[in-house]
Amino acid sequence: MNILEVKNLTKKFRNVVAVDNVSFELEEGEILGLLGPNGAGKTTTIQMLLDVLIPTSGEIFYFGKDLKNNRESILENIGFSSTYTHLPHYLAVRDCLKYTSYFFDIKDRKKRIKEIEEIFQLKEISKKVTSSLSSGQMTRANLAKAFINFPKILLLDEPTASLDPEAAKEIRDLFTREKERFKTSIIITSHNMAEIEEICDRVLFIDHGKIIADDSPGNLSKSIKISHVELLIQNNLEKIVGYCRKNNLKYKIERKYICIDLNEEKIAGLLDDLSKEGIRYDEISINKPTLEDYFLQVIGKKKNEI
Amino acid sequence: MKFRRIFGVILRNTYTLKYNYEEIADLIFWPSMDILLWGITAYFIKSLNPNFGSILFAIIAGLVFWHITWRNQYEMNINLLKELWNDNLINLFSTPLRFSEWILSHLIFGFVKMAIGFIFGIFLVYILYSVNIFSLGFYILPFMGLLILSGWWMGFLMVGVIMRYGQRVQILAWAFATMLSPFSAIFYPVSVLPGWAQKISMIIPMSYTFEGIREVISTGNFDVEKVLISLILNLFYIFLAVLWLNSSYKKILKKGLIKAN
Repeated sequence: MNILEVKNLTKKFRNVVAVDNVSFELEEGEILGLLGPNGAGKTTTIQMLLDVLIPTSGEIFYFGKDLKNNRESILENIGFSSTYTHLPHYLAVRDCLKYTSYFFDIKDRKKRIKEIEEIFQLKEISKKVTSSLSSGQMTRANLAKAFINFPKILLLDEPTASLDPEAAKEIRDLFTREKERFKTSIIITSHNMAEIEEICDRVLFIDHGKIIADDSPGNLSKSIKISHVELLIQNNLEKIVGYCRKNNLKYKIERKYICIDLNEEKIAGLLDDLSKEGIRYDEISINKPTLEDYFLQVIGKKKNEI
Repeated sequence: MKFRRIFGVILRNTYTLKYNYEEIADLIFWPSMDILLWGITAYFIKSLNPNFGSILFAIIAGLVFWHITWRNQYEMNINLLKELWNDNLINLFSTPLRFSEWILSHLIFGFVKMAIGFIFGIFLVYILYSVNIFSLGFYILPFMGLLILSGWWMGFLMVGVIMRYGQRVQILAWAFATMLSPFSAIFYPVSVLPGWAQKISMIIPMSYTFEGIREVISTGNFDVEKVLISLILNLFYIFLAVLWLNSSYKKILKKGLIKAN
């Protein structure tokens, strides 16, 4: 069931088209990633979905209702967190959660704040003013605020940008748990491709305000034919470099490792050639293309076109 | 309109007082300084001529009553600026909170802060100069009402300006009411102003209010005409300021609240 439908959404700022005729849907319990380079239109799209930016044209429907005419009832069910916004400096974390809770129809506010503080491990810092928090703690507090109203849809703009890998992993696990427990749908923007690949069911790739791909992260990665062959070479590193140059293969050297990018179908031929040339390797790993490869290829192509 | 959401914004601003002592000091520090400085000056003038007793009362009453207008305007503006400084506007308006509820909560919050400062001022001038503002009787109420309205339209006007032009015009939050004060006849009658300034005074509702206050002080008469003119002008400006405020909010929504800074 679609709980969000976006139809022909466009936003122009004077002569600049930030979002260009974008249409997509979000299903109940789905995690949708918005990917794209800086200035692609991801944040602008999120802002329009929150009704804090008026679209130039297009329509947004949540739960079958038009956002324009049903703002309050729709936003009761939306949670939002972004690295670009902050909680008030002179307020304690708990105060922020308390006053925010009054914007929503929550039956037992005290109980909910307690729950949220436990989920996001905020108990120890609940009385600290937000200006004294580390960026990781601030992100957790911001996310806690986004969850306070039992949201059916979460709009998250780079939510884990300032978290260390362990904390980011915990938050990702939380998103997945929420999705499974409450069928919460999530739209997330991130520059962390591995994160998007790990948690998203589907990815919209946006560039220059347009959706240029809409598929699962796996399928997007598969559309890239380039694999990475990583070899540990004890001797004759220069010989393999010469081989790569001769065959126009893209490579990268890190200490005794060489990583060669080439089409999946050509891997067998490469290994055969290395054996014929007498190049010995002590380790080999073949890495399939990732979402990052897709991203880099698409962006690279665009740059070449320009 | 939902009361709980209005309460949420009031709570947000009240919590700030817990940690930001500057705001509590601001409630009483500046009014106290004004009362001391101008009160002593008026006291000195009175010492030159004992017949100037009503001047002392008029100046001190002007100070205490001006606080009503200034505080109502300032609170609205400073609370918007606080959200801009904190990058918190999107956090507020990505919830069901309406713009009208946000404005109303600041009117209520500003009123409470104004009332605290006003009562403190009344108390202080009584202690320091034996001036009893309550001697104006129930006339205090209509004058207070008019000055609150004046603070509101100035507040709406400046919220609209800050929304459109951002923090680069934030000085107006402090300065706008002060800019109008020379024409508001707070301490002196309109008749002492130069001709061009009198013309400006004619369209400033506060000038009629303060003339009315002084008339009650000096003659005991309550000039209904002045009160009515002030009321009509205030209501007219409130109407215009609300239109301006709405259009400013729509304009900022077209640019995006993320760009409001």
